[in-house]
Amino acid sequence: MNPLIFTTILMTVLLGTMIVMMSSHWLMIWIGFEMNLLAIIPILMKKYNPRTMEASTKYFLTQATASMLLMMAIIINLMHSGQWTITKVFNPTASIIMTSALAMKLGLTPFHFWVPEVTQGISLTSGLILLTWQKLAPMSILYQISPSINLNILLTMAVLSILVGGWGGLNQTQLRKIMAYSSIAHMGWMTAVLVYSPTLTMLNMLIYIMMTLTMFMLFIHSSSTTTLSLSHTWNKTPLTTTLILITLLSMGGLPPLSGFMPKWMIIQELTKNSSIILPTLMAIMALLNLYFYMRLTYSTSLTMFPSTNNMKMKWQFETKRITLLPPLIVMSSLLLPLTPMLSILD
Amino acid sequence: MLKIIIPTIMLMPLTWLSKKNMIWINTTTYSLLISLISLSLLNQPSNNSLNFSLMFFSDPLSAPLLVLTTWLLPLMLMASQHHLSKEPLTRKKLYITMLTMLQTFLIMTFTATELISFYILFEATLVPTLIIITRWGNQTERLNAGLYFLFYTLMGSLPLLVALISIQNLTGSLNFLLIQYWNQALPDSWSNIFLWLACMMAFMVKMPLYGLHLWLPKAHVEAPIAGSMVLAAILLKLGGYGMLRITTMLNPQTSFMAYPFLMLSLWGMIMTSSICLRQTDLKSLIAYSSVSHMALVIVAVLIQTPWSYMGATALMIAHGLTSSMLFCLANSNYERTHSRTMILARGLQTLLPLMAAWWLLASLTNLALPPSINLIGELFVVMSSFSWSNITIILMGANITITALYSLYMLITTQRGKYTHHINSIKPSFTRENALMALHMTPLLLLSLNPKIILGFTY
Repeated sequence: MNPLIFTTILMTVLLGTMIVMMSSHWLMIWIGFEMNLLAIIPILMKKYNPRTMEASTKYFLTQATASMLLMMAIIINLMHSGQWTITKVFNPTASIIMTSALAMKLGLTPFHFWVPEVTQGISLTSGLILLTWQKLAPMSILYQISPSINLNILLTMAVLSILVGGWGGLNQTQLRKIMAYSSIAHMGWMTAVLVYSPTLTMLNMLIYIMMTLTMFMLFIHSSSTTTLSLSHTWNKTPLTTTLILITLLSMGGLPPLSGFMPKWMIIQELTKNSSIILPTLMAIMALLNLYFYMRLTYSTSLTMFPSTNNMKMKWQFETKRITLLPPLIVMSSLLLPLTPMLSILD
Repeated sequence: MLKIIIPTIMLMPLTWLSKKNMIWINTTTYSLLISLISLSLLNQPSNNSLNFSLMFFSDPLSAPLLVLTTWLLPLMLMASQHHLSKEPLTRKKLYITMLTMLQTFLIMTFTATELISFYILFEATLVPTLIIITRWGNQTERLNAGLYFLFYTLMGSLPLLVALISIQNLTGSLNFLLIQYWNQALPDSWSNIFLWLACMMAFMVKMPLYGLHLWLPKAHVEAPIAGSMVLAAILLKLGGYGMLRITTMLNPQTSFMAYPFLMLSLWGMIMTSSICLRQTDLKSLIAYSSVSHMALVIVAVLIQTPWSYMGATALMIAHGLTSSMLFCLANSNYERTHSRTMILARGLQTLLPLMAAWWLLASLTNLALPPSINLIGELFVVMSSFSWSNITIILMGANITITALYSLYMLITTQRGKYTHHINSIKPSFTRENALMALHMTPLLLLSLNPKIILGFTY
């Protein structure tokens, strides 16, 4: 794509999200979502082939439906409150419809079906933008309306997302689908604590974005999209295998890595609010996620995966430069001792 | 406590910056020096604990375990030299780094005051152990072993996290120093029963309790020697240590909640001892014997009398040294014949007489011969369980007999008789191996002269 046009489109995506995050008028928020959606379609279709067309179409249809539902919820809110300012949602119906619309945008169960298929159909870089940047806008709206969200619906969606994210990823070998299911599960964790403490949602979002960025950067570096091709990294850059191990264990939520911090804080917040069975269930279901991360680490770093002899003599092309990888690695694995600093977020 | 932790952390730069022919020498020497520093903790002047700071403390229970941990690192390094000798330098350094990381986490776990800090470090010990088992194990079964190890432990310990946070909610602080003084009875309710279960299951899986012990034979057998040593000697004791710490907060539910686990442990120790009699795999035999000894510790901790606590602590230290020594002996066999089958390497006394002496001593301490500290531990546990209920003497007596049976079976099969014709060309024992066995045996023998330092805080 012409670099100037690509920059313009990318800036429009950023602008759309910014408008969503910074507006106080519901209509502007809806406009921001639409701007974001329309501008990201060309980015998803950077390579022009039927698979990306299919993925972009699915993405467009689900997100447009969600935007329309959002518009309906906004109008119902307008009818009942007479004003367009985003404070809280004044009508329970509007609140339920809005929560469903935002869940569709985020990829929460039962609206998760588009996430693996869209992520699989697009390139790794577009998948990166899809799974990290695109989650910011709906999450910011959920953050702002969090006092008026129906707790039952949100918690049901969250727990089901963690389940689906765990079980769905078990049968996958394609890395993009694995990251998609991981995203579904993490969104579940984030929305579970939204009503209790939106600050922790933001913390989880921050750490999730860092870890997902790191994973995608490592995948882009080795240009691998399947488990099999990832298992050849020991031959190309052995250090990357260690980094993949650390980041995957961090995503699985193992102490002492920083992926444990959001889970710990969320469990703490839920337990302090006297719901004990829920965080226990959520924590145990997160182990499903850990299982398929472990499988990835087994094939990549902890064993020498069986490969044919000519795989061991791959051409070494010029190494791609990965932006910001060392700070990302450090932040996605070593942040746990900084947990007491969370008091600044209040 | 930083005087132990910082040198241990600095062992990692030492490894990476050492020259090729100095890595083993440097790390072994400095870790031996660190273990000397930790010996000073055994001097516990007051009845209470030695508090170094708000975050670290040591009391008569954790000091012997800490000394055992720091003592084992040089032994692990000595034991690993042979099987790593053919690996490239970076991988050797990675292995030592994993061991050092594990050591750091273990030291911090045993001295943590805050229970959530204890939990995080308890979980943190899983990652280096998993990497050691899965990356450097020798058979394909190691993948399954790593998964079983990780997931059994995590399934047990996630409810512990929730339980600790809800206790913190209730009492305001999880600092162990405060809880000693706060101690109130837990009110009787269903949710407190689940709280008891949540707190204890993590340690039960780690010990392991008889029904949840499936991970242990796999992990012990598939791990390389240093992995087996640290698993048997220290990581199982983490479970015992955690149980000893947390049962102080869990009264009075323990009086009735403990029954199922007591039954499982009492039956389990007989079952696992009996399985040892039918094992062909040497490391598997030692692994099952670990389950059996730890079942005794579980019985002791759940009975909650002063004598049983003394027995539990003594048994933990004694079993740590004995089991680690047995694994080293089994490894010396494995390095020569590359097989763990017992009968393939029999009649070794004729070929390696000094090693046979170490085998004899290890088997004798395993079957709790007087006056070793193994006997003190077992005897205290048997006595206190007899006072808890007279019938347990039958099971305990049967266990002691069967333990003697399989220890002698192991000794006689590997050492006595005529040697097989294919092993008369094995290498003689290295000085390193003899030093390793001596370093295991000397603390055991010396402690039987003054066992009061390992008897824990109820002495």
